Amino acid sequence: MDLLSLGIKSIFIDNIIFAYFLGMCSFLAVSKKVSTAIGLGAAVVFVLGITVPLNWLIQEYVLKLGALTWISGTFAEIDLEFLQFIMFIAVIASMVQLVEMIIEKFSPALYGSLGIFLPLIAVNCAILGGALFMIQRDYVLSEAAVYGVGSGAGFALAIVALAAIREKLKYSNVPDGLKGLGITMIITGLMGMAFKSFIGIAL
Amino acid sequence: MRQSNLYVLIFTAIMTIVIGGALSVTNQVLKPAQLKSIELDAKTSILAAVMTINKDEDDVLAIYEAQIKGLVVDINGNEITTNDKGEPVLADKVNILRNFKKDPAEREYPVYKFSSAQNQGAVEAYIFPLYGSGLWNGIFGYLALEDDLNTIKGISFGHVAETPGLGARIATPEIQDRYIGKTIFDKNGNLTSVTMQKGEKRDPSAFGEHEVDGMSGATLTAKGVNAMLDQYLRSYEKYIKNVQKQESI
Amino acid sequence: MSIETLEQAPVAPVKEKEPLFSKRRKKIFSDPLNDDNPITVQVLGICSALAVTVQMRPTAIMAVSVVFVIVFSNLITSLIRDLIPNRVRIIVQLAIIATLVTLVSEVLKAYNYEMFKVLGAFVGLIITNCIVMGRLEAYAMGNSPKDSIIDGLGSGFGYAWIILTVAFFRELLGSGSLFNYPIFEKIGWASFPTNGLMVDSIGAFMVLGVLIWIQRTKTGYVEN
Repeated sequence: MDLLSLGIKSIFIDNIIFAYFLGMCSFLAVSKKVSTAIGLGAAVVFVLGITVPLNWLIQEYVLKLGALTWISGTFAEIDLEFLQFIMFIAVIASMVQLVEMIIEKFSPALYGSLGIFLPLIAVNCAILGGALFMIQRDYVLSEAAVYGVGSGAGFALAIVALAAIREKLKYSNVPDGLKGLGITMIITGLMGMAFKSFIGIAL
Repeated sequence: MRQSNLYVLIFTAIMTIVIGGALSVTNQVLKPAQLKSIELDAKTSILAAVMTINKDEDDVLAIYEAQIKGLVVDINGNEITTNDKGEPVLADKVNILRNFKKDPAEREYPVYKFSSAQNQGAVEAYIFPLYGSGLWNGIFGYLALEDDLNTIKGISFGHVAETPGLGARIATPEIQDRYIGKTIFDKNGNLTSVTMQKGEKRDPSAFGEHEVDGMSGATLTAKGVNAMLDQYLRSYEKYIKNVQKQESI
Repeated sequence: MSIETLEQAPVAPVKEKEPLFSKRRKKIFSDPLNDDNPITVQVLGICSALAVTVQMRPTAIMAVSVVFVIVFSNLITSLIRDLIPNRVRIIVQLAIIATLVTLVSEVLKAYNYEMFKVLGAFVGLIITNCIVMGRLEAYAMGNSPKDSIIDGLGSGFGYAWIILTVAFFRELLGSGSLFNYPIFEKIGWASFPTNGLMVDSIGAFMVLGVLIWIQRTKTGYVEN
């Protein structure tokens, strides 16, 4: 599949939040201020962009049937796919740990404002979801990389947009039962509808 | 003691062994059932193109074993038995999705020959796997042609994520039955495929030999189906013409 | 020691064995069903709540799987909670959850391949379901196994009834059926206009938003 159209598709049409609902928890929690949203978005792009191709490599050279033949031909019958979840999560958790250390070093302010949500990226459905969808769709390495960065960018776009809307929402009169989560759900639904308009684009 | 490095190491080591053991055991125990499920799923889809399958009653694996013979051909219609690495190529093992990503000239094309239970020598139908892009994600299916390799005996469609009630209708008998009896070659022997029209008239007599009624509200999925059929029929055309020539001898 | 001191030595009060369905335990179970619902109040586990609720059947399988994972991961974590070194706490929790989810996934693949295909990647995503991790960290790490099981059941059912309700409306209005049974056709209203939005992500957001509105109005919970 054409890499450019895959990239555009992952950002707008196949948006990991609006089309697949992944990453909702941090999406809802961190979207109150635009500045933190931008920070989280950037972190997610970075983590997704690295873990998806990395997990592809693991699937290709460790997990799938016959993957271990580069060690020895006798391993051709070994199928370690049942270890997929554990390995992917381990890779993601390690990657996030790394990102956390980098951010702490280079931008303590961002590190402070992201707080607990930085380590929580590890259990963000979007990251594991990105890897699992990549497997499901049988991408090659280049597609996996584009898909990773694209999905991250889509997530970042969505969360920053929602944060901008919620900042403005502070000045409106939301009924009590809808305050917070309720109205955010409905707004997200409306935003999703808007993103659907990209379907008709011929790429 | 609980926090010392040695303890952490020992704990992690034990945990790894326990988890590794538990998962490996589960995998070994469940593997046969899993492989059977996957096999059953694929073979049911293939047979569904030529007959109605009752999942609970029919022994799909036995029927398949007795009545289906698979082979793999290339774009020129020549049979492939081994690949570049010298490994045998089997119809059941060809990964259609992976092949779809290759250039059409490079793909491996499985063909399934179907014979009836009574007369297993004669080929009653030829079944071809298809893959394409629907509106949202992949669409796929199996096309079954009668032994004249022109008339459609049946077709079965599946999809990854088409809209239920709209594009997803391609997986229903209502839509699939529309293709039965249509022909893929015109009177001069040119490949025309069968095209799903835009809009839905619900009047079968309004359509010619190479057209079927469309699905209201699902034009893009229909376009995907048409493109898929056209592309794969063109890829199998040489094989089809070879067999037709052989049969007429 | 003299006899008097022995006689006067304080006797430690005998701790009464708590009945299985004590008031305290009932509260552990019932809180997450409504007042402290993991989805609508704690805002956890939303991801899968929206994705698989297109139809009731996969939702039901998802609900059962999640309850299974929460209960057993709670149980296992609680059993070994005194053994887990603090430094690797999160990793150990993740490992326990990942193992249980792998089990569920493998069993589904073997015995219900159709549903396995429908649920696809979302079975694996139970690992990242914030509710599971949340309960381990917030409850199982500091409470007894019996209580942890009850807490797991409570949170699991709290999650389950919400997603089943969302799925109920989405399938009914979006596909005109329930558990693949074409309801409207059977009651004679075959031309029921199915709402395409319901099948889509947008319908999910809307239904969940309205459900939260109703639930919070009833319990009186107002966010910030």
